[in-house]
Amino acid sequence: MNVQNVLSSRYFPVVVWVFGLLVVWEFSSWFLLHVVEASMAQSKIPYIHELVYTFTQYGYTLFVEGKATFSNAAIGFLLGATLGGLLAVLMSISKWIEQLTFPYAIASQMIPILGLAPIVYGIFRDEQIARILIAGYITFFPVALNMLRGLRSVDPTAVELMYSFAAKPWMIYWKLRFPAALPGLFSGLKIAAPLAVTGAILVELMGAQNGIGVLMLRNLYYGPSHNYMFWSTVIVGAFLGVVSYLLISLIERIVAPWQPDFRSSGGDD
Amino acid sequence: MSLVNTPEIKLERVSMLYQTDSTEVLAVQDVTLDIKQGEFVSLLGPSGCGKTTLLRIMADLIQPTNGEIKVAGESARAARLAQKYGIVFQSPVLYDWRKVKQNINLPLEMIGMKKSEREDRVNALLELVGLEDFKEKYPWQLSGGMQQRVAIARALAMEPEILLMDEPFSALDEFTREHLNEELLSIWSKVGSTVVFVTHSISESIFLSDRVFVLSPHPGRLSSVVDITLPRPRTQEMRNSPEFFQLIADIRDSFEGV
Repeated sequence: MNVQNVLSSRYFPVVVWVFGLLVVWEFSSWFLLHVVEASMAQSKIPYIHELVYTFTQYGYTLFVEGKATFSNAAIGFLLGATLGGLLAVLMSISKWIEQLTFPYAIASQMIPILGLAPIVYGIFRDEQIARILIAGYITFFPVALNMLRGLRSVDPTAVELMYSFAAKPWMIYWKLRFPAALPGLFSGLKIAAPLAVTGAILVELMGAQNGIGVLMLRNLYYGPSHNYMFWSTVIVGAFLGVVSYLLISLIERIVAPWQPDFRSSGGDD
Repeated sequence: MSLVNTPEIKLERVSMLYQTDSTEVLAVQDVTLDIKQGEFVSLLGPSGCGKTTLLRIMADLIQPTNGEIKVAGESARAARLAQKYGIVFQSPVLYDWRKVKQNINLPLEMIGMKKSEREDRVNALLELVGLEDFKEKYPWQLSGGMQQRVAIARALAMEPEILLMDEPFSALDEFTREHLNEELLSIWSKVGSTVVFVTHSISESIFLSDRVFVLSPHPGRLSSVVDITLPRPRTQEMRNSPEFFQLIADIRDSFEGV
């Protein structure tokens, strides 16, 4: 690979951006600490090399706590997605069910999670259950809404085509509506996945025993001495959200690769 | 392909009234017609003449507000449930998530045909419409004309007795359309099904049909039936023959109130 290739590579701008950002961050950190001499400068913009050092020291702890959060969020996510998808199907079958349930589905979204989380935690007194329920609760609505839109997006002529084959109603769902709803379902899932992680972390802030949120809260209380650890937990939390999104995107590529968004790459070669 | 029954379509004083809150539109008024088994007929007329409505009534996609329709002696519904119809719509309506071969396979999955049998049938259909090399492609990778050929193959998959076509080539350019007209006739000569072809192109209806039902608009009604005496097989040269021009003139004259 010569210089020309490196410069024209489509990753080159990304690499430049990331590197540039790191330099600016490190410089700002130094500037705030030694030139401005701001109070608690490292809480505002910590040195990146210090964060990297923290990760090498406490990587395992962060991993274990992150896993606890992520696995509960994932279970809740699956639960919420299943229920959301199921409700979307029921609503698409029957206008009556839609009119009966939809206002409540919307109303449920009006309850602030910040208020709901301690209530759920108070009822079950089990942080795992609370995490799962809140993650599921957050997932449910965007999935139901987008899945319903997907099921409704079917071209009426495509349905008439099925009639002409004398297809049974469940056949129309299986062969036409479900595949046609996949893009909608996945856009719902992609919205919900990072939210489910955030929801699980929120529950942990209410007084759980483990999870990345617990680590976050403790290190916040311990003050400046634990500053780098606090920042590390924030980074891990963000990382879990990104991972959940990328995971869903990957599954979408495998399950529904025929979508217009994925076509350009096919046309290039 | 075998024909078990004698399918003929019989319309008896069929009317279709569309009602909305404020207006009533009589899309079809008192249409009586008869289509013989194995015949290629066109429903020809300008927009608003009810030709698509008539086709949809025949397909049992809508029910007429008045009159009766019989398909091979039974109701249109019974004929649909007996899978006697193959329909080709104006747009190809191919399923994006299915490759060409899977789109053609779709109706065969409905009737629970065995996999090996299905493969043979799909391959035969691909050969029939000349798309053997494209069977692994997705619909968006094909041209409009090719997509419509896939739709024709899919419509023929269940070996329907009646092929209903709703302006299938109207979205295509003139050259592709004339080419597909010829190809459709060649396919029809092999499968021998009854074809009802909706179009607003006079020359297309003449080139294809045994008989042309000329419909006039507002309200949609049958103005005349024109026998197309051109010999078969039809060739592109016939489009330039005096007979062809005479038929065009005859049909133009038979329109009322356009």
